[in-house]
Amino acid sequence: MATTGKTMKVFEELLENPQNRLVEEAVQNGRIPIAYSCSYVPEALLMADKLFPVRLHTPGIAGTEIADNYLSSLVCSYTRSLLEFTMDERFDQIRGWIFVPACIHMQRLYDNLTYLKHPTFNHILDVPRKVNNDTLIWMVEELKMLADKLADHFSVDMSDASLKKAMQDWNIFAGVIQSIGELRKKPHPPVTGTEFHQIVMAALASPKDLILPYIFDLKKELGEREGISKYRARLMVVGGHLHDPEFIRIIESQGGLVVADRFCTGTIPGFKSIDVNGGNPYKALAEYTFSKTLCPRMMEEFDRRLSTIIDTVKEYKVDGVVLEIIKFCDLWGVDAMPLVTALREKGIPVLKLEREYRLGSEGQLRTRVQAFIESMGK
Amino acid sequence: MKINTVIDNTRAKMMDLPYLTKRFLRDSWVGYLFTRAPNPRDTLVFAKYWIMNWAAIIYWIAEAIVKLGPIGFARALYHNPWILILLRVNGVANRLSRGGRTGVYHDSICLVVHTICLGVIDQLRQMLFDPERLVIFEDLVPYDIGRAMGLQCYLLELMGIVLPIMYTEASLQYIDEAENSGMNPDACSLPKATVGMVLKGHMPKGVAMVSSNMPCDAGAASYAFIQRAYNIPTYRVDAPYNFYNERAEKLFAKDVMGMIAWLEEHTPGRMDWDKMREICEGRNRMVELENELFDMIRVRPAPVACEAVWLSHIWHFNVTAGYPRSVKLYEKLIKMARGNLEHKISAAKKEKYRAVLWNPPFLHFSDIFNWAESTYGVVLINDSMTYNHHGPIDTSSRETMIRDWGRTIMQGPMVRHTRGPAENYLDDIFRMVEQFDLDMVWVANHVGCKGGQAMNGILREQCRAKGVPLLILDYDLSDPRIVSHDNMMRQVEFFMENVMKAKRLDQQGAA
Repeated sequence: MATTGKTMKVFEELLENPQNRLVEEAVQNGRIPIAYSCSYVPEALLMADKLFPVRLHTPGIAGTEIADNYLSSLVCSYTRSLLEFTMDERFDQIRGWIFVPACIHMQRLYDNLTYLKHPTFNHILDVPRKVNNDTLIWMVEELKMLADKLADHFSVDMSDASLKKAMQDWNIFAGVIQSIGELRKKPHPPVTGTEFHQIVMAALASPKDLILPYIFDLKKELGEREGISKYRARLMVVGGHLHDPEFIRIIESQGGLVVADRFCTGTIPGFKSIDVNGGNPYKALAEYTFSKTLCPRMMEEFDRRLSTIIDTVKEYKVDGVVLEIIKFCDLWGVDAMPLVTALREKGIPVLKLEREYRLGSEGQLRTRVQAFIESMGK
Repeated sequence: MKINTVIDNTRAKMMDLPYLTKRFLRDSWVGYLFTRAPNPRDTLVFAKYWIMNWAAIIYWIAEAIVKLGPIGFARALYHNPWILILLRVNGVANRLSRGGRTGVYHDSICLVVHTICLGVIDQLRQMLFDPERLVIFEDLVPYDIGRAMGLQCYLLELMGIVLPIMYTEASLQYIDEAENSGMNPDACSLPKATVGMVLKGHMPKGVAMVSSNMPCDAGAASYAFIQRAYNIPTYRVDAPYNFYNERAEKLFAKDVMGMIAWLEEHTPGRMDWDKMREICEGRNRMVELENELFDMIRVRPAPVACEAVWLSHIWHFNVTAGYPRSVKLYEKLIKMARGNLEHKISAAKKEKYRAVLWNPPFLHFSDIFNWAESTYGVVLINDSMTYNHHGPIDTSSRETMIRDWGRTIMQGPMVRHTRGPAENYLDDIFRMVEQFDLDMVWVANHVGCKGGQAMNGILREQCRAKGVPLLILDYDLSDPRIVSHDNMMRQVEFFMENVMKAKRLDQQGAA
């Protein structure tokens, strides 16, 4: 495996806190952090003017005692962790919250957050669950309403020109991340799955312009790095929210090399470029939002989810798929049944792992991954 | 199967015999006659409905043998063995009319069960007799439009709801089948039972399917599997999150129009707008009658209650809304309730506490309220699945009809409670507390319902602030293995004794 470089240490450090030093630096410079928890929020919209998006994560969460009282212990642990951190004032720099009714858990997190903390800016972006002309128009209106609300509340410039600039900035950022991701197609990738996930997570939780120099540095470093040749199997991780890179580190500790990621904070297909040449930036953002993620909440996209996974398996020469599902997530939990069957029918080995949001049961995880790799004859 | 397994299974069945016999006797005529005070009038009424139910069943069997042929009928029973569970319908009427329920209250329950028996038979007709025109609908997309198009329609989740009411353990084999096939065990047991029935091949297939994003994630997501299993074209209706506005109503109406066009393309059905108008007018009449019923049950003591209110709504509004039989049922219920109201007769023997039930009813323990009624005088007045406050459907044009029909769906039970802000969920509860002069709120805390679970914290605090006693009763919608009936009764007892400081009615008598 490649050794951790100086720049990688920066990403590791940025992931230690839900509001890292780059967020603090931006806030000190008068910029406005807007929190979001779902990939259906177009980050570019939140990069306009003084705004910057912060992907919500809860590194080092130990327990969710307060959140359990409100959300119950039968709700997904990501949602509970977010409420717990909010109640502990761990998101005190955040000035606005944007949620998507992606699932009932997120809907109720919004409700409980509103009830308990009364944030001055707490918005639900009503993303439809299917894509057609009517829902595209709806989504364009939703984004416009959100932009107007942001402009009104924070006195920021949400004009078309400002949005287009934000979209261009996003494209630069997404392009460089994507180019690093592409390196993983190589037979001997210079970057491990753990490192790549650290970069992506740190980037999503930081102001893009402030983290970009580090990403460029890393890209340079990677160019000089020797490729990884000691691995037993090339793996793809599929599923919902996965924030802790340690989860991937454990998979990789058993000889697997994670070369592709189709989860909420992964890059397939999440880090696409937005078309900035069209007349209406909201329409471009709406189209981009519908195409950039593949959540089972979208009722008509099972085939697209499946074919994306199959295409990625071919493109990245993946030996097996690890399907990770957070306990109590009905969307992924139910969808896994046909998904696993369909992948196995295509001859793709699948390991289905049910897990909690925070890392736990490491021993079991190791054993299952080890057995999975062995079952593939690797 | 190994011989040892056969012997073990037989031995287990033998061990169960005393319990099965007891249950059979309890639900039979013997149980009816010996578990309540003798009342010749009630007995005659029960006998009338008992005969009418069996007559309808026998008529359907004869009809099925003629239409499908004896082999076809046997094959239908083989592929849908749950049909045999439906024969327990008189046992259900027996169980529900127990607990000191007499007079009009007793009759209304027998009547509601009888109309549901007829409705279920109609469903079986639609399911078996004309498969080329059969369209599958998800349970929260009422098939009014399918009917207006002259299609045969079947609600896929329907038996997952009806069977546990008939027989407590009816869904277990299906739940196990779904879990064994990889469905997450923590999902709601209704979609699990539905998926299990599909996996076992115990469901009709149809030529097309309509599903939606309502009410919950598990239900919506399960259609990805069902569509693959059936391999039939599927249309999905998408209700927006924020739906109390014109913009959302327009989007949903467009979606419904899209569904009509799609059904015309993929099925032999053609939209008959006059028929649709007739159905909508039937629906309007039912809403009108139900509102009248709501007005009557506001009075203390309520002239009718419990199953006469919730069971009638759950079937007649969700399955056969606008049917002449459903309209007639509500007219009869109104007449019965009015009679009691005029003579100041209480439905329950002793109405001490008035309760609302929030979330889906206790399917596998539907007679828990008989027990609560006869033990503590707790009367179920209304519930979240029944309570509505939407306006009528404007039938003046196609556009208004579809817009208002869509509004009825979006603002219907469960749908409005599982989307939109918390107020959609909470305000209805407190509105009902006031409207029906309630003494307590019961939350049916279904372990698989994450949306409801995540509201309990806020609800608890708001009930405390308003001084409304709240019972959060843990259970699973269709699986009694998660929380047993005994455990459910214990939860009620703890609540009644510790929060309400209430004594059992029999202890009060002794005192």
